Amino acid sequence: MDLNYTAEDVAFRKQVRTWLEHNMPRHIRNLEERRAWHRRLYEAGYLGMGWPREYGGQGARPMEQAIVADEMARAGAPAPTNGLGLGIAGPTIVVHGTEAQKRRFLRKILTAEEMWCQLYSEPNAGSDLAALRTAAEDRGDHFVVNGQKIWTSGGANADWGLLLARTDPTVPKHKGITCFLINMRQPGVDVRPLKQITGSSEFCEVFMTNARVEKEHMVGRLGEGWSIAQTTLGYERGGRALARVTSYASQYRQLVEAARRLKRDGRPILDDPITRQKLGRVWADLEVERYGALRTLTMLERGEHPGAGGSITKLSYSEFEKRFMELAEEILGPYGQLTEGVPTEYRLEVDTAVGDHGTWAYAFLWSRAGTIYAGSSEIQKNVIGERILGLPKEARADRVGARR
Amino acid sequence: MNFSFSEDQVLLRNSVRAALDQECAAAHVRAMMEDERGYSDALWGEMAKLGWLGLPFPEEQGGAGLGLVELALVLDEMGRAAYPGPYFATVVLGGLGLSLGGSAAQKERWLPAIASGQARASAALLEDGLDWSPSATAATATPAGDGWRLSGVKRFVPWAHVADVVLVPARAPEGLSLFLVDPRGAGVSVTPMVGIDLASRWSELRLADAPVPADALVGPAGGAGPVLEALLRRAAVAASAEMLGAARRCLDMSVAYAKVREQFGQLIGSFQAIRHRCAEMLLEVENSHSAVYYAAWALTAGAEDAAMAASICKSYVSEAARKVCGDAIQVHGGIGFTWEYDLHLYFKRAKSLEPLYGDAAYHRELIVRGVTGA
Repeated sequence: MDLNYTAEDVAFRKQVRTWLEHNMPRHIRNLEERRAWHRRLYEAGYLGMGWPREYGGQGARPMEQAIVADEMARAGAPAPTNGLGLGIAGPTIVVHGTEAQKRRFLRKILTAEEMWCQLYSEPNAGSDLAALRTAAEDRGDHFVVNGQKIWTSGGANADWGLLLARTDPTVPKHKGITCFLINMRQPGVDVRPLKQITGSSEFCEVFMTNARVEKEHMVGRLGEGWSIAQTTLGYERGGRALARVTSYASQYRQLVEAARRLKRDGRPILDDPITRQKLGRVWADLEVERYGALRTLTMLERGEHPGAGGSITKLSYSEFEKRFMELAEEILGPYGQLTEGVPTEYRLEVDTAVGDHGTWAYAFLWSRAGTIYAGSSEIQKNVIGERILGLPKEARADRVGARR
Repeated sequence: MNFSFSEDQVLLRNSVRAALDQECAAAHVRAMMEDERGYSDALWGEMAKLGWLGLPFPEEQGGAGLGLVELALVLDEMGRAAYPGPYFATVVLGGLGLSLGGSAAQKERWLPAIASGQARASAALLEDGLDWSPSATAATATPAGDGWRLSGVKRFVPWAHVADVVLVPARAPEGLSLFLVDPRGAGVSVTPMVGIDLASRWSELRLADAPVPADALVGPAGGAGPVLEALLRRAAVAASAEMLGAARRCLDMSVAYAKVREQFGQLIGSFQAIRHRCAEMLLEVENSHSAVYYAAWALTAGAEDAAMAASICKSYVSEAARKVCGDAIQVHGGIGFTWEYDLHLYFKRAKSLEPLYGDAAYHRELIVRGVTGA
């Protein structure tokens, strides 16, 4: 056990830090500027770092990827665009795609020439994702897709989508699902923004009516979609963990500054013993998340996959984020709810993906999403209980036989 | 960067576990709960032979020269076994206290004796007001002839009734100082304080003008503050390791029970109310593992954030162990509330350490000072 970084990693971190100092844009106002920033990151070798070199990646170690993400978080650098392409679609193609798919799609994900979305959830298939009903019908050289998807992040700008659809309704539900790459720019695909409780629309609804998917764009084998989706849900978690904690720490320090200014009984809230206890607890929780990120990184560096252990990480940080944001709201009072007219000193300096100044109100509302998306806390606890602790599965109607 | 155990560390853990499974099963713990002294000489001798008693001391003093990560591994296993005996008091409180602040002669006198199993030690860090801050010490040391006379009352001194030497902070004219006191010496009285964890023992240590010689002073007169703070951090992390072990045992017992206990015609582990609770318990155990071993490494390596890591560790694990061990009783239902069933041994071990060496509130205040500078 040695938690010091190697001289090599320290030098790499310094190199990334210097590069960011010279290249990071101050503000990003629109999608075109964000794409330009994305391309700069790619040309510097900081995107798709773990992907194979022959498809535009760097073949870098997990530690190097984590350092780049962490330094970006530390500098408050804007995120690249095409997050679903980089985080989900690309890694899925790297692992499960055909040679032709890799050559056709991977580099354009890295350059953001083609933007991606993920078409998994449906109105009646949320936690029970395997109950999805969007149908893909085999027509010889292509499939015809009909159905509705929801919670499609990045849907509004997407050129391509990673799709789960049912290809066989006669077998048990987990076995009849296939994974496809679908062209979003076609008449049978209708994308409508979904307005969330934040007032913004990071997600969309997607309606597919006789949409066409080429046979060569099927990923893996027929009926293999469920197991492919199981692996892709975990891709993004390990490498981002350290950076996520660094972002929390930056927000925490801004909260402390606010607690120095705000008063209670004529004294700064930061002097209030109850508030201090709560702040001490949140910092401890935040650091424990960081230690956990180092453990995950250790596994990745050794070429091990956290597997179901990723569920512990996801459960831990998403529940932490809610507690953190609740404390921020307590300390900030009504300032914490402002979406407009926020005095400069109570703004939250973060990158908001839409280019506005961040607000605590947005961060607070957004914290409610983390324990729902990518497998709700309840689903994570089922996974932990069944796959790690080996507890018996519950009696479930859908485990009895084939779907109707 | 490597946050995993080395092969040697894994071997150490496995051998400690095997030995304690063999020598320190629940029946042994229960026997020692009834025992007047509360621990077994045979097991103590075995621990000396296995090198556990000198684990963190330098080799020239009969130790193994290992760090706090290895010490935490041992204590983690001792918590898992609810080990009854003065290991923590002797090796962590007495031994590390002497290592941190003792003179060459004091170390030479005590550390080899501890490592070989001949001597037991402790430290008296707490007084009537339960203030963990060393500066709150009220006991006094008055110069008398060549030596000193100590007066004051210390509370919750672990295993003082079997200790050969106790580290006692007291206020001298020069300021906060640290002394070696023979608990069987003149002017010293030791009275049992019996808590809910009968497998660990506390005493009140009363000093009434107790004479100690000049060479009982540890470090310079008036200079004990930094030593006591460093010792408190190590004790906080070591206690967390033991609480972590107790929590692991509670989790293991709960999961095993949920796999065999049936109600409503089904195994209770198939109910989400039980399964989700067990998942939360595992999350707390894993996070506590991160907190304990990060802090143990940081203190050993002298990392910049070592003091913060120690406070983060104790505040986190105190609460996590409370939740895990408490939830274990809930998962078990009625049987978990019986004396016969072993769960309460581990529940009580974690509970007894929760308020010691700084409770969560004490350490959270230190954390906020550290992170805000205010």
